Amino acid sequence: MTARSPRRVVAVRVHEQDDLARACAMALELLPGLLPSTLPAQVVIKPNLCDITAWETGVTTDPRWLGVLARLLRSIRPDVKIYAVEADAISAYKTYRSCDETFERLGFVAAAQEAGINLVNLSRSDTLEVSLAGIPMAVRIPQLFLEEMYFISIANLKLHPYTRITGILKNSLGLITDADRSEFHPHLSVLLSRLHQLFPPDLCIIDGRIGLEGRGPILGRPVRMNTILFGADALDVDETACRLMAIRPGKVAHLRQTAKDLGRDFGEFEVVGDLQPRTFVFDDPEGHSAIAIKFAYRRWLHHLDLFCNRWTGRAIRLRYDPLSFKKSIMAKLAGGQRGL
Amino acid sequence: MGVVGAGVVTERRHILAINGVPEVRASIVVDKDGERARHVAELYGFPHWSTNLEDVVHGSDFAIVAVPNGLHAEVSCQLLSQGIPVLCEKPMARTVEECLAMVEAARRGKAPLAIGHNRRYLEHIRLARQLLQKGLIGEVQNVQAEEGSPTDWPRSPSFFDPQLSGGGALMDVGIHSIDLIRWLVGEFEQVEYSGNGTPQSVESEAELRFRLSTGATGCVMASRTRDLKQKITFEGRDGFLEVGLWDPSLGIRCTKGKAFQNFPRLNAYVPRRPPQDSSFVDQLHHFVSALRGQEELLVTGEEGMAAVSAVCRAYSGAAPLSPARPVGAFTSVSPT
Repeated sequence: MTARSPRRVVAVRVHEQDDLARACAMALELLPGLLPSTLPAQVVIKPNLCDITAWETGVTTDPRWLGVLARLLRSIRPDVKIYAVEADAISAYKTYRSCDETFERLGFVAAAQEAGINLVNLSRSDTLEVSLAGIPMAVRIPQLFLEEMYFISIANLKLHPYTRITGILKNSLGLITDADRSEFHPHLSVLLSRLHQLFPPDLCIIDGRIGLEGRGPILGRPVRMNTILFGADALDVDETACRLMAIRPGKVAHLRQTAKDLGRDFGEFEVVGDLQPRTFVFDDPEGHSAIAIKFAYRRWLHHLDLFCNRWTGRAIRLRYDPLSFKKSIMAKLAGGQRGL
Repeated sequence: MGVVGAGVVTERRHILAINGVPEVRASIVVDKDGERARHVAELYGFPHWSTNLEDVVHGSDFAIVAVPNGLHAEVSCQLLSQGIPVLCEKPMARTVEECLAMVEAARRGKAPLAIGHNRRYLEHIRLARQLLQKGLIGEVQNVQAEEGSPTDWPRSPSFFDPQLSGGGALMDVGIHSIDLIRWLVGEFEQVEYSGNGTPQSVESEAELRFRLSTGATGCVMASRTRDLKQKITFEGRDGFLEVGLWDPSLGIRCTKGKAFQNFPRLNAYVPRRPPQDSSFVDQLHHFVSALRGQEELLVTGEEGMAAVSAVCRAYSGAAPLSPARPVGAFTSVSPT
């Protein structure tokens, strides 16, 4: 750890699969400043519920996290309002999946009731479309995140055919409230970095008790890893997850992009605890390149489309409305790009 | 339905709106200039045209009144008193007395009266209201509105005649901001005005400084000679909201909000729906729904009158600011 960055990630080995509370206690013992001494009035928890598949498969978040976290948070502020949030999605089988159904079938409704937590389907909440620099389409985000909050992101330890790993940064994609997020995939690295800037988690947890290798993030093989990662910085925790899966962080495009945008290098933090890596195996190691080429082609097509539209429009204006053409050129010369 | 007045606003806005609301069938257009009425009727497919207002009463279920400001009250009262619901262009009238006469005529004729403050129907304005009502930027403390351009759409001579228009830049342009500020924040309690109008000519520059019922202060600037910012900025205790008046832009900052930890502001993207300004379509659709009893009128005669009242008080200088809070003490802090 450098003197400049006293950031830490805690890796807790879990021997009793069910004892999440004990894992949290160990994490707090190893890193007492992991939780704040005071909390704002509301806390938002974002689990990873990317499909209707039980947590034991390594695909989704264990609903028992809600109760464990609720107890911890209320020990700091008894009157804190806690929300667990997720958005509707298009599943791996290309079918629409309502988040309400996911909450119900994965046991989150019962767990939330028991813990006094409100479940929020972000796709049905009030939203706001924002423009993000580097993303050609507007991004619809929940208005909830315009408010003050303490934000907890819980992800799983999984492989992903395109981004290579899922994790905390990738988990924020579920905060976009549109069910079909496929149009964003060609721009995923930049988008995930922007989303991290928009929704920086205050507490990041990667539940690696059971990881997922092979054809992640949904159709892979569960791997017992018995490790839970805790940290306050999403990039650090994701980088630690890479190490745990024996993947070079520099190979993960969205980690590279986020590090670049934050002006940081990899490895600027310390791992506390017991990290026992295991090589996670991709079923189709060449698949990543194929998808990357496909998305690069889509990005190129998109830029070409914009370029043609812009210049066709200008040519028409120049021909039929030279004054408007002059105005648009002047505006372009005078004004900057819209966006963040 | 009938349209009274075949001028620019009818051609550019209301006819597009009529085409955008399938429940509405245009029956007649009336204008004192018969040639103009015939031209509009032929061009846009109105089956009848006339120079006689009575023809609207006999041939329509409701009417849009888009005549010069000075005729709003006279025309609307004639229609309302005969039971014809009216959607009257803004400003409602030139004076509060005329507004009262219209409200009274609506009551007597048992006919709904709506005022065309169309910007309330814009998507981004509605979104701004939602965000303000949630209290995201805290209590609004200051409002700055600026609208004006020398290249705004062409206006008829009546806009420049004090008798016919009732006022200049503030009455014609600034009243949009006044209505929005009332709707989004609160009632105008104290006003102070400066402008370059004379008894013979309306003002081309206007500045209205005010204090609202909520305690918020601010300024509305309207101009026909300068390019202004074309936006309203609401500055709250915990952030600000910047609302575009000519484009559907919405900038927001909530100091404590999670999304603003790394960004000084967010620019909301509000897509335009065709026609380019769909607010007139939504306004007409809402009016029809209200006539059918499906919705409450959004901009009633009383609402329109309150906006006119603020302008008239400004012109008359009848409500000066309290000495304890002179104009110079009003703060205008731009968002950072």
